[in-house]
Amino acid sequence: MLACLCTVLWHLPAVPALNRTGDPGPGPSIQKTYDLTRYLEHQLRSLAGTYLNYLGPPFNEPDFNPPRLGAETLPRATVNLDVWQNLSDKLRLTQNYEAYSHLLCYLRGLNRQAATAELRRSLAHFCTSLQGLLGSIAGVMAALGYPLPQPLPGTEPTWSPDPAHSDFLQKMDDFWLLKELQTWLWRSAKDFNRLKKKMQPPAAAVTLRLEAHGF
Amino acid sequence: MFAMRADSILRAALLPARAPRAGQAFGEDLHRLGRFTLPGSSMTFRDWPRAGTLCGSTTLGLGPRARPRTSDSQERPRGRAAGARGPALGWRRGRAGRGRWGGACGGRGRAGAAAPPAERRAGAAPARRSPGQSVSAVAVALTVACGRLWRRRRLPGLAEVSGPPLACGRVEQPRTGTRRRDGAAEAAACARSPSSSPPAPGRLRTPGSPRAAAERTAGDGEIAARERPADCIARVMDFTLCLTQRSRMVDSKRMRMTSNFQWPLLTFILLYLMNQVNSQKKGAPHDLKCITNNLQVWDCSWKAPSGAGHGTFYEVCIENGSYSCYPSEKTNIKIPALSPGDHEVVISPLRDFGSSISKFILSEKNVSLIPDTPEILNLSADFPTSTLHLKWSDRGSVLPRHSNVIWEIKILRKKNMEIVKSVTHNTTLNGKDTVHHWSWTSDMPLECATHYVGIRCYVDDTHFSGHKEWSDWSQLKNVSWSPDSQTKVFPQDKVILVGSDVIVCCVTRDNVSSAQIGLTKCPLIHLDGKNVAIKIHNISVSASSGTNVVFTTEDNIYGTVLFAGYPPDIPQKLNCETYDLKEIVCSWNPGRPTALVGPRVTSYTLFESFSGKNVRFKRTEASTNESHQLFFQMLPNQEIYNFTLNAHNPLGQSESMILVNITEKVYPHSPTSVKVKDVNSTAVTLSWRLPGNFAKIKFLCQIEINKTNSIQELRNVTIKGVENSSYLVAVDKLNPYTIYTFRIRCSTETFWKWSKWSNEKQYLTTEAIPSKGPDTWREWSSDGKNLIIYWKPLPVNEANGKILSYNVSCSSDEETQSLSEIPDPQHKAELQLDKNDYIISVVAKNSVGSSPPSKIASMEIPNDDLKIEQAVGMGNGIPLTWNYDPNMTCDYVIKWCNSSRSEPCLMDWKKVPSNSTATVIESDQFRPGVRYHFFLYGCRNQGYQLLRSIIGYIEELAPIVAPNFTVEDTSADSILVKWEDIPVEELRGFLRGYLFYFEKGERDTSKMRSLESGRSDVKVKNITDISQKTLRIADLQGKTSYHLVLRAYTDGGMGPEKSMFVVTKENSVGLIIAILIPVAVAIIVGVVTSILCYRKREWIKETFYPDIPNPENCKALQFQKSVCQGNSTLKTLEMNPCTPNSVEVLETRSIVPKIEDTEIISPVAEHLEDSSDAEPENHVVVSYCPPVIEEEIANPGLDEGGGTSQVIYIDIQSMYQPQAKPEEEQENDAVGGAGYKPQMHLPVTSTVEDLAADDDLEKTAGYRPQANVNTWNLVSPDSPRSTDSNSEIVSFGSPCSINSRQFLIPPKDEDSPKSNGGGWSFTNFFQNKPND
Repeated sequence: MLACLCTVLWHLPAVPALNRTGDPGPGPSIQKTYDLTRYLEHQLRSLAGTYLNYLGPPFNEPDFNPPRLGAETLPRATVNLDVWQNLSDKLRLTQNYEAYSHLLCYLRGLNRQAATAELRRSLAHFCTSLQGLLGSIAGVMAALGYPLPQPLPGTEPTWSPDPAHSDFLQKMDDFWLLKELQTWLWRSAKDFNRLKKKMQPPAAAVTLRLEAHGF
Repeated sequence: MFAMRADSILRAALLPARAPRAGQAFGEDLHRLGRFTLPGSSMTFRDWPRAGTLCGSTTLGLGPRARPRTSDSQERPRGRAAGARGPALGWRRGRAGRGRWGGACGGRGRAGAAAPPAERRAGAAPARRSPGQSVSAVAVALTVACGRLWRRRRLPGLAEVSGPPLACGRVEQPRTGTRRRDGAAEAAACARSPSSSPPAPGRLRTPGSPRAAAERTAGDGEIAARERPADCIARVMDFTLCLTQRSRMVDSKRMRMTSNFQWPLLTFILLYLMNQVNSQKKGAPHDLKCITNNLQVWDCSWKAPSGAGHGTFYEVCIENGSYSCYPSEKTNIKIPALSPGDHEVVISPLRDFGSSISKFILSEKNVSLIPDTPEILNLSADFPTSTLHLKWSDRGSVLPRHSNVIWEIKILRKKNMEIVKSVTHNTTLNGKDTVHHWSWTSDMPLECATHYVGIRCYVDDTHFSGHKEWSDWSQLKNVSWSPDSQTKVFPQDKVILVGSDVIVCCVTRDNVSSAQIGLTKCPLIHLDGKNVAIKIHNISVSASSGTNVVFTTEDNIYGTVLFAGYPPDIPQKLNCETYDLKEIVCSWNPGRPTALVGPRVTSYTLFESFSGKNVRFKRTEASTNESHQLFFQMLPNQEIYNFTLNAHNPLGQSESMILVNITEKVYPHSPTSVKVKDVNSTAVTLSWRLPGNFAKIKFLCQIEINKTNSIQELRNVTIKGVENSSYLVAVDKLNPYTIYTFRIRCSTETFWKWSKWSNEKQYLTTEAIPSKGPDTWREWSSDGKNLIIYWKPLPVNEANGKILSYNVSCSSDEETQSLSEIPDPQHKAELQLDKNDYIISVVAKNSVGSSPPSKIASMEIPNDDLKIEQAVGMGNGIPLTWNYDPNMTCDYVIKWCNSSRSEPCLMDWKKVPSNSTATVIESDQFRPGVRYHFFLYGCRNQGYQLLRSIIGYIEELAPIVAPNFTVEDTSADSILVKWEDIPVEELRGFLRGYLFYFEKGERDTSKMRSLESGRSDVKVKNITDISQKTLRIADLQGKTSYHLVLRAYTDGGMGPEKSMFVVTKENSVGLIIAILIPVAVAIIVGVVTSILCYRKREWIKETFYPDIPNPENCKALQFQKSVCQGNSTLKTLEMNPCTPNSVEVLETRSIVPKIEDTEIISPVAEHLEDSSDAEPENHVVVSYCPPVIEEEIANPGLDEGGGTSQVIYIDIQSMYQPQAKPEEEQENDAVGGAGYKPQMHLPVTSTVEDLAADDDLEKTAGYRPQANVNTWNLVSPDSPRSTDSNSEIVSFGSPCSINSRQFLIPPKDEDSPKSNGGGWSFTNFFQNKPND
């Protein structure tokens, strides 16, 4: 009986009549952003492997965990959970947006610097994806009626290799860039998932609950 | 007395001294020197009045210019002396205990050996001193004292050294002439010496300057001779006397002036003498040591006498050509360098009467050359390159001569001053102060630890004969890096050569726990403080992002990146060429990868030396092994370029050069925009573009012309280069209406490289009129009314275009017929003509025009003398030859067709010129094994005559069929065989004969064997007469099966074989005999037996049939009778009725061979016995069996007529069917019969079947073969057996049935006569009969 009900409900989202709700709302764009975040996470995993190998040992050692020395300009992804959760959706989205625009800028710098063509290709591909994510977040914000954060003049992150920066510190920065990026993606995925649940229409929510119950 | 004095002098040892203390400026020394030389300067030595000898005069070099200095020095002599004192005392202290050599005149070793006796003597001297000796000593002392007194009195008066005349007179010694002469000679030598000494370099002889004076003094020749001490002392004494005398002479006038002081003076002398006597007890100055730091001034010091007070003054007198004395307040003095040779130095302590004077022999050899301690002007560090730069001055102006200087530089590291490097550095002094630079690159980054540098020098003056020593070390200077608060690792981002060793250090205030390069941990080397370093040996190539070196502290990591790579390889295969004479392309191979990328990648600079221009090449990509290119803009009016390609990276650079004349290195681009234009049908123009500025050169271009089905053609053309890049060339000698493919490539006339081929351009040339008329032939139709005209299509090269149509016309004297516009694919026309002579002409037309007509006459000239000949092809064609016939004026025509076609037959024809007598006919249509008919026509007077008719094959093949043959007749010893012709199509060649094989053999066995001609039992007949159609084979054995084979053959091979089995007939006479003799024998035996039996019947009866008593007569058996009667069926004992019957039957059938009879009967008898119990009334049936046999005996005629079992033999007899065929039929039947065949012969079944409805057939499906009985019925509807057997329906299927037994025998038994073992031997016997 329960299985039967579940099966029916499983197909519920496929029924057009139930899915058509005049205005789709922010739901689909949040879902899309969430998917993109997960995809980027996956993509970053392979990119980071390649890039850390390029940086050489000890950067590619699994237990390499240096203290964060330089890379002060990178937006930190580590944050107190309570603080983060107490933020409003708007603030969280804004912070996400700002962080990714910074990270994208640094990533482009990384691309310019990479010595091998293959690495440059992978980085460029990832940059494009990240650009997509930025657009996606902007879309979500627009759908929710939040304004996009305007970059303050002069604070626009511009990547330029610091002449006084040694190659080693540069490598550390690169390492931290990838690490922060990964943490940000994890956090964003959680954020969008939470937002998605919050924004979902009640019917779909029921479906999902049952789904969870059935399986 | 003098000798003793000399001994005491010898006691003095000249000890070596260290260099004067640092800070004693050279200038000051010079100044002092100037002051001390003043007294002796411009001195004029005059002959002593009494002796009348002139000691000579010398000028020490200062001359008039020295005077001002003299007066200057007189201004404050005391201050000077006091000033000089301090340092002098200082270095004397520093020198204490460091004496290295002693002995005033002798060498070191000698002095050491001589010293003890000298001392002993000196110790003994006061006791043994004679009055004379004392007087002499007093005299000397007086002389000195007078001089001193005099000088003091005159202060600040003249600087001349002059002793008091009185004292000098008193102390004068009577001397031998020799001695005096010696002294004079000595003085003369002294006087001469300056002029005889090697002249000092002119530039150094600056008159008037103190330095010049010093140089001049130092410039005296070296001393080489060494004298015995006694001589040396004697000489010094002479010199002293001489000086004293001269002093008296000079001062004679002054004596008058000072006469008033004579008495106090005498008193003073007395006091002095007293003092002098007392001073004998105190000792004398000793340990004279001289050093020099500039070869010009000797700084001599001595040890004061033991009792000398603090204020002791000394006078040092030196015999150096002249006799110069210098006062000194200290125990050292600076004297100008003495001329070579030994010099006596007398040191007289003044105002110290307890001390005695000391005499030393001084020469250059005893002087140590100790350069001044060098001073580091600057020490700087270049931290990024870990290089120390050291700067110091050589103070070359101090030394008068050009000398080599060896500098030793030491580098110390860390606070505990570990020496890490000590190097020597050679320079040459050139008289000027030169600042030297020296750089050193540290293996350890300079930031890691403090580095100290010290320097000292050694002047290797080859002209200086004294002892040369290293200077003192300079003061150490250091460089250190002032670390800011941040921990750092050095070197940062360094590029190093693969395989080198490198030290990486971490400047930190934390404790470093570990260090690693890549994944390898390295042992830590502790430096000052908490700094650590690691040493990496033989570093390997870095990855593209470098090799990471990481130091780990408790809470952080620090690192640096090293880039280990290679310096750039020499660029290989450097080649410069141009495509367009506008730009030069230089390409090269970078060679070994440097493993350095990004900012460290190799950069290339191409430098052209004539124009001085260069181009740079820089790639950030990792340099792969691919070729690199640089473009250099050509310069106007420059043809020769000298390129140097320089490769540079942080590890080094390399270069390669090439000198090119660029006009000889033109590699043109491939021509583009190739266009073709018509000129006419055989010529076109080709144009193309070749970008570039080629106005000054010529091109050699190749045009490749490709025609379909033709070999390609290459034409070379030379073209003058143009500026506008367009080129045009005419190409002629082409064929009309032909597709050509053109392509072009070019090079310069001075060939360097061909350009790539241009794209292909296809072009069809225009049409022209056909060059010839078509090849024509004509044939009369079979009915002779129409003339068919044939022509061949023109070959492409003659058609010159697309043939659109043909015009055919026939003209005779009377009329002209024409057919026009026959469209192209048709190559045949038919005209209805009478038998007049016509001339037929055919014209081919294309779009341009008509071909010339080709003409042929219609007339056929008969030829009666015709034979058909044979010809066989060779290779691909059939050769034909004929005799030359002068009558044949036009040409020969050979036409041919397939011989199997009907007339008129024309496959093709060939025209041969009239003068030829042979040709080979070739055609793609010819096939091997096909017969063709060739007709050779000769053309004569506008008519053709058939000359020969030939049949032939392009290649003969073996026949594909065997001749059909039949056995016409057989007898007991011969067979007549007849065969038929093989059709021409199947013969496939000219028939050359038949081969006939025959052998004994039967069907089964012969099947297995092949007919090999080698087998002896196979007889072969070769029939070469192909008209023969029959063959009789004789000498055969009767009643024997023969295997006959016939095959035809051609030159192409043997055809297939056809075989047949024939059994010869039996010899009839023998057969009859074979039958009659046994019959006769049987009859005779029978008769004899009968007679015998008759004669002996009584005996036989007795033996075989004795009288048996009648049991009825037996009373004993009465009781049994009733029993017997009770069971009437019990007939066992009733024997009477049986016996006689059997006997009778045997006797009547005695003619038939017994064996066979029994065979037939026995089953019947068995049957009879078996059934006797069940059907006792059927005895009649038993007795019925014999009649069945009779019926069979009557059958032979019937069997011959049409019994199925005899089909074979009937066929053979009819001679229409070969043996194989019946056999096949039988096999087919057997298949159809499927084991039930025997039953087909049942005559009975036919009726049964007839009675049964058709439906019943299905019911008897298992007996299907029986359905075939219809055939049987047809074959023998009237057979008596069938009618008879109607009555035997009851016995159908019973074992006793004749039919049943017959048909249960397997079918093969029918074929093989011998296997008929059953009751059918008779039947077989007759069946075989026809074959006999």
